[in-house]
Amino acid sequence: MTEQTLEKNKKKIKISNLHEIGLLIALILVLLLFSFTTENFFTQRNFTSILRSASYVGLIAFPMTFVLITREIDISVGPSVAWSGLFFVILIKWYDFSYFSSAAIVILWGILLGYFIGIARTKLFIPTFITTLALWSALRGYSLFVTEGRPIAISNKDFRYLFGGDILGLPTVTWIMLGAFLVFWFASKYTVTGTNFYAVGGNPKAARNIGINVDRVKILALVGTSLFSAIVGILFVARVSSGNANLADGMEFDVIAAVVVGGTALGGAVGTMTGTLLGCVFIAMISNGLIHWGIDPDLNKVVKGIIIFLAVVINSNVTFKSNSGGPKED
Amino acid sequence: MEILELNNISKSFGAIKALDNVTLSLRSGEVLGLMGDNGAGKSTLIKIIAGNFKQSSGTINFEKQKVEFSKPMEARDKGIEVVYQDLALCDNLTAASNIFLTREIKRNFGLIKIINFSEMFKRAKNIFKDLKSETLPDEEVKMMSGGQRQAVAIGRTKLSKAKVVLLDEPTAAISVRQVAEVLELIKQLKNQGIAVVIISHRMPDVFAVSDRIAVLRRGQLVANKLAKESSPEEVTALITGAIEKA
Repeated sequence: MTEQTLEKNKKKIKISNLHEIGLLIALILVLLLFSFTTENFFTQRNFTSILRSASYVGLIAFPMTFVLITREIDISVGPSVAWSGLFFVILIKWYDFSYFSSAAIVILWGILLGYFIGIARTKLFIPTFITTLALWSALRGYSLFVTEGRPIAISNKDFRYLFGGDILGLPTVTWIMLGAFLVFWFASKYTVTGTNFYAVGGNPKAARNIGINVDRVKILALVGTSLFSAIVGILFVARVSSGNANLADGMEFDVIAAVVVGGTALGGAVGTMTGTLLGCVFIAMISNGLIHWGIDPDLNKVVKGIIIFLAVVINSNVTFKSNSGGPKED
Repeated sequence: MEILELNNISKSFGAIKALDNVTLSLRSGEVLGLMGDNGAGKSTLIKIIAGNFKQSSGTINFEKQKVEFSKPMEARDKGIEVVYQDLALCDNLTAASNIFLTREIKRNFGLIKIINFSEMFKRAKNIFKDLKSETLPDEEVKMMSGGQRQAVAIGRTKLSKAKVVLLDEPTAAISVRQVAEVLELIKQLKNQGIAVVIISHRMPDVFAVSDRIAVLRRGQLVANKLAKESSPEEVTALITGAIEKA
């Protein structure tokens, strides 16, 4: 091998790959740690449970990766999931809509909500953090108001088995998540739309000058998280057979933690879908393992807080060393 | 052949006259060094050529045809490209992705369109070869030197088969070795018959590549002569006003 090809091969191992490899190693270490220190962690039943919770988070984490890459954020996803599920159940129970048309309406709602956040960001110049913070409060509050804090149950075995159960030994939601992963992974790597997310995050001013419709790219990313929040809301209903205003409490935290642990920079431009997938499994595994250790659920949140902080520290060190963090937007 | 002719161009912003009756022409394969102090009207002139501004009076001919650009896209379609000082590159993308941004080569599989990276890398490699630059198409721009970044930005103009390339301060804020690299890029553009306008404060760089020097002072063209018939001293005097006109 000549020196030149050696040099070239060395460059092929990019920062993002390094992060993914590191995360994979961390994942295996955590897996071993919990397996050897608890009795019931290393069981098929428990792995199914980890996969299930990673899948709900993953479905929103993939579009969230694009949102963060374009230098935006959506913190309304938890309440958005709760309201979407509730809205779905309300349409069925109170207004006699069919399951199919209720799902269609809720999905349309998700798209419109994302569009609203996007328009507020691009036309009214309201930071997405503020808009989604407002929605975070409003959606949860309205959900509680409408239901007076009580769950609304539905009973439909077919719906439950189809979307809340298992197929071929894996939870249905995991299959859906894997399908979504493939689509998002492919889009991020091989399509113009995917490239545009990275370009807008890398240098918004340049992207605009070159002729990319920056506003449309950002709106599309934000429609992604809201749309998938609506889908996850429906899938949650399938799992628990009810709509509940308190559902998906703190889910926005899990989603953003998974994305950031997966190597996506909060400042945009950097991130991969593979990293996000690993991040989802990592966060789900830690939460699950801590329960097996018998740690109080409230303390569980403390540990997650520490993990997200450490992830950002590692992440920003890696990116700063590679001289990233592109130009600021005008 | 005269590719670009500016006839009696004036531009006013309210009461301020940024350009006053400027007449200037440019030939294919010619490098024009456009010089002047801050506020002399260099950027305004470039922006009028590039379609960012519309002149208050005067006409522009491109390839002997009268043209009026209302937006940069129209100038670009004709073959006029500007490489801005900040280069407008996305650091997180590869050189090839930057060159092809918004003009990606795609493979169609029914409704799905996939970016054809191998073809883009191949073409980008050829572009860099034409420019005699050692830039790697599959390397991320954030890893690159100032000279290589400039090559990527100029490579973009090659993709559109530009006939006129306007370079805004291409040698500002880069090292001496990289300056040589960028000047070489400009010479390659010239050899390929492209007309180049270079705006720069760095006198030695301008004289190293320019065939002709034009000097603006307070919106007026005070010199337009062959580089070999002028000197850095004369141009400095023209810029400051020590010499009225040459």
